[in-house]
Order: sequence, then structure tokens, then C-alpha cells
Amino acid sequence: MRTITYAQGIKEALEEEMRRDPTVVLYGEDVANFGGIFRITSGLQEEFGAERVFDTPISENAFVGAAVGAAITGLRPVVELQFADFLFTTADEIVLKAGMWRYVHGGAFKVPMVVRCPSGAAGVGPEHGQCPEAFFMHSPGLRIVSPATPADAKGLLKSAIRDDNPVLYFEHKLLYATKGEIPDDEDYLVPLGKAAIRREGDALTLVAISAMVPKAMKVAERLAQEGHNIEVIDPRSLNPFDRPAIIESVKKTGKIVVAEESYKTLGVGAEIGAMLMEEVLEYLDRPLRRVAMPDVPIPTAAALEKFVIPNEEKIYQACRELLS
Amino acid sequence: MMDKKLKLDIYKKIILSRRLEERIAELIKAGQVGGFMHPGVGQEALQVAAIATLRPDDYMMYAHRGVAYWVARGIPIERVLCDLSGREGGTNRGKGGVMHVVFPELGVLGESGTLGGCFPIAAGAGMSIKVKHEDKVVLCFFGDGTSNRGTFHESLNFCAVRKLPVIFLCENNGWAVSVPTEQSTSVKDIADRRHGYGVPGKTIDGNDVEQVYDAVSEAVAYARAGKGPSLIEGKTYRLWGHWIGDPDTYRSREEVEKHWRRDPLPIYENKLIEEKLLSEAAKAEIDKDARAQIDRAIAFMEKQPFMKPETALEDLYA
Repeated sequence: MRTITYAQGIKEALEEEMRRDPTVVLYGEDVANFGGIFRITSGLQEEFGAERVFDTPISENAFVGAAVGAAITGLRPVVELQFADFLFTTADEIVLKAGMWRYVHGGAFKVPMVVRCPSGAAGVGPEHGQCPEAFFMHSPGLRIVSPATPADAKGLLKSAIRDDNPVLYFEHKLLYATKGEIPDDEDYLVPLGKAAIRREGDALTLVAISAMVPKAMKVAERLAQEGHNIEVIDPRSLNPFDRPAIIESVKKTGKIVVAEESYKTLGVGAEIGAMLMEEVLEYLDRPLRRVAMPDVPIPTAAALEKFVIPNEEKIYQACRELLS
Repeated sequence: MMDKKLKLDIYKKIILSRRLEERIAELIKAGQVGGFMHPGVGQEALQVAAIATLRPDDYMMYAHRGVAYWVARGIPIERVLCDLSGREGGTNRGKGGVMHVVFPELGVLGESGTLGGCFPIAAGAGMSIKVKHEDKVVLCFFGDGTSNRGTFHESLNFCAVRKLPVIFLCENNGWAVSVPTEQSTSVKDIADRRHGYGVPGKTIDGNDVEQVYDAVSEAVAYARAGKGPSLIEGKTYRLWGHWIGDPDTYRSREEVEKHWRRDPLPIYENKLIEEKLLSEAAKAEIDKDARAQIDRAIAFMEKQPFMKPETALEDLYA
């Protein structure tokens, strides 16, 4: 086992996949010379050359749409959007082109592309701080992943690059510096669509997404000290979504809290709630609780941002309420 | 330069396209097929002559209007008819209809339903060619109205800075559905927009087969040599309405009649007759042959079963 950071996991995945497969190209704003605004891609242009790693104009529609064109003609493009929020700028290219080009043309193409989307509130304001995964869960044809650990950051990105479908890869800005262990296996892959059970328990199911995972783990420790052994599930992939993992856990615990940084209305928790109503309502002995962003844009001032972002205390309180 | 065989081949494809659209219009009006079709009558010279400059391994992105793109590229017309009518045997399995005819074997990469969605995809195909060190090109058709989409400007700039082998070919037919070009567009000639991006190109008579062939050939050679994109504009006219069934109340009959006198089909036909490449007898033979091909294709289509409804759930993920 080695210890790496989340950012390093992303970089290693890019390096390894680009070495392995000459059709993988990487591009976006400031990724080449500067190494990306979060400095994930520094040095890659030196190794792989200016044809495979390059800077783009500020033209998200053109370069994200170009990934679709490149993918259907034999490349595996990885595009970096500086902020996940820019997905909205390029919604036609993401939703209608990447997601649907294969379908509308009767399966004539594969669309193997990855869009890297730095997400999450980090004092950067309403248009640079969202977690818009749920918006894109609503769009057919896209794969969506949201790694929470360094090992998953690497293993999921490698799987995403090898996948023959368009993948939105949400990397949370506040996780870049987090450290974690990664298996020594040189070709470590994490399959899309498989949830991770971060902690086993039978008192309550706590589903945590992306940056909520470390917070959820702390809540679980605190509750354990209080005598409640809760189960923490990190879905990792939001499409495909590991429904059985959550259903099985709820059958065991009868209680569930979902913690996410998406807006509450029609967020990931809403889908999980609906799924449980349809599948296992009889197993629930308390109502579902969601800890999510209130439906307001993310404010910039630290005190305001802190007020709206789900934190350990809010997750803890939601769990306590169900455990009482 | 166009030789005799090429000139006649282009003529045959224009005839086949024109006759096919006339038949499709009859089928739609008679309620025999339910498709939504944007006819390209009047624009066939531009479409067919431009595609004639391509190699079979080149890529193309077509626009909304007409069947000539597919006829020119050699997609079997019975397959297009099956797409139109939602039957087995079409190119997109009942998903995209006649708007999304596709044929990767001949580099036909499909069509964007949102106008202007084609430009980034064409740029991406160009990127792919460059990364793989191929000498293919991408021919990207679009209308004058679409040149006002941000994707046009972003993609032209992107292709120019990366020297991608994409030929942007504008079919300026004067109208974006019911809005005339002068009310929507800041320039008289779309090709003038090339100056904003430092790429070569020109405005030509899009109803003149030879002008189109020469201009697009030049742009194709430029792209194949790795020099980058071009922007060409062919002036043409949409002789029918925006869709089959369009009441077409927004244009004066005088304007439409004036343009029927510039119909590229008789103009080209007379030129070939003058050059003694075409006789009245040969003309009749070509027309008869086109009609017979269409009859066979319609007969094929009518024997095909409609797509099974459950197909709607297939083809989303690879």
C-alpha cells in the first residue's frame, strides 16, 4: 500500500492511461503550460506532446462538443472543465450530444469521453462552487462518477477513460489534498456502478456522496462512541447507480440518511427516497432524512457558505433524530 | 477539373435527389409516411457538387435540408426512406428519423438536431484526424441562420488556431425558417466572417455546379495539406417551404418565382446539353432510371415492418 493524495490519484490515472493508450488525449483551459488551475496536469504536455495535451480557447461549447466528434472518430478525449458549473455553459454538448449521439443514431457510434468537473463549494461563489451531479443524473446517456477517496479518484478515472460511454467525472475541490492508501496493484481499477461500504453497521444507513464521505465517517465514529453502529455507503457512481447496495443496507437497518452537496429538490437523496418507496417501503421504520443544500445559489462570503453547506453537525443531527 | 464522367455523375445525383423529394412530398401529403421533412429543392447543386470533392474515407456533417447529401454520398435511398417512415432497415433504428440519417462507413457522422451543434463535432473529427496523422478532411454544411450560433464562432476559431482540416460550407438560402437573412445577420456575405478568424474562403454562386466544385476542391486540398479550415458560402435559395406542409406565407410569390428562374437543375442541364455531354434522349433515360430506383426503394420500404416499440429502450449505452 502507498499513501497518495486525491489530486495525485487523478494525475496518476491520466499518466497511466495516456501511456497505455495513444488515443487518449487531454485538453482544456490552461491544462498544458500552466498544468490546470488546480495544478493536476502539470508536466503532462512535456511527456505526451502538444498534440495530445493542449490548451483551448475559452470556448466550452466548441471543445466539449469536439470531444464528442473526436470520440466517434476514434479518440478517447479527456476534457477538463475548470469548474463543474461550466457544464451548464455546454449543456447542449453534454446533454444532447455526448449523452444522445449514440442513441439518436441507432447505436452507430460509441462515445468514449470523459469530462473532468471540479465541483463543490470552496469559497468560490455561486458559479464556481456547485455540485451539479443530480442535474445530469436526469439526462439519459451519461455516466456519472463522484469519487471520495484518493484510491477511488484514481481507480474510477482509469475506468472512466476505458469506458465506451461519456463519463462526467466530478472531482471535489476540497478533497484534492486529502490523503489515503491505494493498493500496490499497478493497474488498480474501480468498476463504475459499484458502491463502497465505508463502514459496516446495523443501526442506520448513512449514504454520503463525494466530500460528504469524510464528514459521514466522523459522524459514524461519534455515534459509535454513543453506542450506535451505523453503516456508511459511498455510491461512488451515480450512473450507473448501485441500487442493490442501498436496498440491502436499508433492509438491515430500517433507517436512512442521505448527505449530499446537491440542492435538496430533486437531488440524489430525492431519487434514493423514491427508489426506497417503490422497492422497500415496508422495511423503513422511520422516514428518510436528507441533508442537502437548501435551494439557494451558493453564497461567496465564508459565513454564508458555511451556513448552507451540509456539515458534520447537520448530518449528526439527522442521524440522531432517526436513532432516538 | 471536372471530367465528363464526374459531370454526368453529379447530374444523375441531382436528378435522383429532386425526384426523390418530389415523391417524398407526395407520400407525406397522401399520409403514406408520417415523417417530418425539410426539403432541399433548389440547393442540390451545392450539396452534390461539394460532396463530389470528397474521398470515401473523409467525414461529413450535413444540415437539415434535403436528401441530396445522402444521395450524393451514396447512402442507399431505401434506407433513408425507412428512417423517414420508422421501419426496420433504416440507418438509425427508429431513433432519429430522417433528421439523423447516419452512415459511418462513408464518414457520415450524423446530424445535430439543434442547429449549430454540428460545428464542435466537426471540429472534434478534425482533431481526431490530426492526432492520428491522417490526411482526411471534414466537410461541414450549415445554413446562413446557423452562422449566428456561438458554436459557429467558437468552432471556427478553435479549428483555425489548431489548424484542423474542416471545411465550413454555408448554404445561404436567404431564409431561416421565416426570418430573412438581412433581419438576422450582421453581414451580407457569410463568408466575410472568415476575416474574424483569419481563414481563407469565398462567396460563390451555390447554384453553379462548377463554381462549387472548384471552390470546395481548393478548400479540401488546403485542409488535406494540413493548412487548416476554410469558410465557403454558396448563395442559393430554398425553393420550397421550410418543411413539407409549410404554408410559406412569409415570402412574396414574386421572390420565389424569381428564384425558380435560377433553379440549378435546368441551368446545369442546359450547360451539359451545350457541352454536348447530354442529349434529350440521355436526359430522358436518366430521369426514367431515377424514377425506377425510387419505385424500387419505396417498394422495399413498404415491405419492411415498422420498428418494434421496445427498440426505444436500446442503443443508449455501449
